[in-house]
Amino acid sequence: MQAFLRVFKAGVSSFFRNGWLSVASITVMVLTLLTLSMFFVINMALNTGIKTIQDKIDMSVYLKEDVKQSVVVGMQNDLANLPDVRSIKYISKDDALAKFKKQNANNKALIESIDSIGNSLPASLEIKVYNPDKLNSISDILAQNKYKIAIDKISYQDNKVIIQNLLKATNFSRELGIGITIVFTIVSLVIIFNTVRIAIFSRMEEIEIMKLVGATPSFIKGPFLIEGAIYGFVATLITLTIMSSLLYFAAPALANYFSDAGTSLTDYMRDNVVIITLAQLVVGFAIGVFSSWLAIRKHLKLQS
Amino acid sequence: MIYFEKVSKIYKTKEGTQSDALVNVSMHIKPGEFVSVVGSSGAGKSTLIKLINREIVPDEGRIYVGGLDYAELKKRDIPYLRRKIGVVFQDYKLLPKKTVFENVAYALEVAGVKTKEINERVPKIIELVALSDKINCFPRELSGGERQRVAIARALVHQPRILIADEPTGNLDPKTSWDIVEILTKINEMGTTVIMTTHNSHIVNKLKKRVIKIQDGKIVRDEKMGRYDN
Repeated sequence: MQAFLRVFKAGVSSFFRNGWLSVASITVMVLTLLTLSMFFVINMALNTGIKTIQDKIDMSVYLKEDVKQSVVVGMQNDLANLPDVRSIKYISKDDALAKFKKQNANNKALIESIDSIGNSLPASLEIKVYNPDKLNSISDILAQNKYKIAIDKISYQDNKVIIQNLLKATNFSRELGIGITIVFTIVSLVIIFNTVRIAIFSRMEEIEIMKLVGATPSFIKGPFLIEGAIYGFVATLITLTIMSSLLYFAAPALANYFSDAGTSLTDYMRDNVVIITLAQLVVGFAIGVFSSWLAIRKHLKLQS
Repeated sequence: MIYFEKVSKIYKTKEGTQSDALVNVSMHIKPGEFVSVVGSSGAGKSTLIKLINREIVPDEGRIYVGGLDYAELKKRDIPYLRRKIGVVFQDYKLLPKKTVFENVAYALEVAGVKTKEINERVPKIIELVALSDKINCFPRELSGGERQRVAIARALVHQPRILIADEPTGNLDPKTSWDIVEILTKINEMGTTVIMTTHNSHIVNKLKKRVIKIQDGKIVRDEKMGRYDN
């Protein structure tokens, strides 16, 4: 206990007395962590955006005029049992007309002409899926003979190429985002490790003296680990402050740019602020301690 | 107290040639002695000191210090050995970010001495080297002589039976040098064995104590009340 207190005190006092070294190390850490956090946020925004786009991709199955209700219900049940299907909504002829009128509320001539010729819009099933990649297989299932008699047209067939290109693009962006984040995480860690290593290297002589006075390796190591922990802690705290104020001021712009994706992102941040803060602090702490440990281990090994 | 039995140390240079730092050196230093080890630069004085402090190991021969056979010493025992030997270096080797008090206290902290005891012992030893008014200064705020006195205080605070001083006056002016030597003499009179390397003939001749002269890695002279004439 006494030894721990001594080591802790030595670490804290060394952090303050090596003021410039601490400031320099923390600055580098803040800059790298900040860039890294930016990537995470952009990646998250991208993912939310992609999800919003993909949610909008669905499939409408237009039914023939004379289809019996029992056939429609049977088809609906069959589809609902498919694991990929998230929801099915039956849109009757009347629903379809109401929707059409609402969409074209400004075009009075069109509405009047529709009213005069009567409702020629078909009833339809609106199918939403968990993963838009699966739309193709559902469309294949619907192509079977037993459904053919009931189906007039499937929207997916018309938009197949567009949807698949869109899916390719969104999947690619997602993978790219993850890839860049991974690469940048590694780069950041290497930069931080090296910064701490240089900071400790500049104090080689101190370590040498401690050995000569009869300090055990763990007694030498301790204060450096504490310093590393403080580096990580302070750097994360600063990064979080900058990030959260940036997000706070950028929230309206984000909401504007990404529409609901932006809003859900800032909402997500707000709802999970405690967890995000704690997680970042723990990670910062761990990086600081680990890089110090890595650096000092080498110096202590050099000679007895 | 300290036995050297046919000790040799050879340094290998990068080119593969060898330079003999110590060749077949045998000596015995008794408890309570004050020994000056003299010789020109590169004669092997520092090698001798480093061997006693177990900073390096001999290539041949055996070393016993305070009953310990260095050949049987394990790596993890070295910190404990060093707490029994006080060492003063030419370049002081003070921790730059610690105050006078903290530098001296550090030698006790590493040994796990209780804080209360440290707070009692450290001011006393600092008083002994006449630095009480500088107790909260950092090394950079002190003169060379003052820094060396801090180093001596640190070497002595854990009451070692052996004090090694490697060129303690090397960086100091004559007046300050003699002050330092007087402190070492005082410590010796209190019972500590002192081994000092130097090439300052003036000091050695004034001391009138045992002198061991090393030349080209060999002991060429060992006299009870020696003199040192370059």
